[in-house]
Amino acid sequence: SSPRFQALLGTGAAGGGHPKTSSPPQAARAALRLRYLRSLGAMRGLPVSFTLHEGGRVGAVVAAADAPPLAFQVDALRTPLGLQAAALLRCSDIIAYAFEM
Amino acid sequence: MNDWQMKSPLDWETYVNKRVKVAAAEKNEYEGWALTVDPVSANVVLANFPENGRVSIVVVLGHAVQEVDVLQEADDEMKARLSCIFAPEESKAYSP
Repeated sequence: SSPRFQALLGTGAAGGGHPKTSSPPQAARAALRLRYLRSLGAMRGLPVSFTLHEGGRVGAVVAAADAPPLAFQVDALRTPLGLQAAALLRCSDIIAYAFEM
Repeated sequence: MNDWQMKSPLDWETYVNKRVKVAAAEKNEYEGWALTVDPVSANVVLANFPENGRVSIVVVLGHAVQEVDVLQEADDEMKARLSCIFAPEESKAYSP
């Protein structure tokens, strides 16, 4: 029931068989996802500012993200309670994040 | 899932290379050139070009997006500038 599966299903139903990787929705998905993954790659090792729910703001150096992404693994997380050497930030707690390159 | 997350990749693609204003949860607003929308998480990647010559990237997470308004379409120069922000090193264009 994930968006990815639904998109795949939609393509397959329209094509009446195996989804074609070159069909317009799939080509759009691939191009959009490629750019997003490159943005994740570009963010690695940079200081990133996170806007969290309930007005929280924290800064950290991003080390890694999982595939969807559901969480970011960060180093040097600056919080109102002090500095955390390493932490996991759940994406469901984040509204936006920003960095410069 | 909100309305934004329910859109299709072809819908999201129409926002790419446009200047957009994103209304997010808790009255946060973000503006910038839409670089991409992640088809898995619906996260919106926005780029801005501040005076210091660097590129400022803001990513609004899909679950927090409430509304996206298109403000302006990119000209060819801006499209080229946007396309090379995350391009791998070997495919970057060099001036003669």
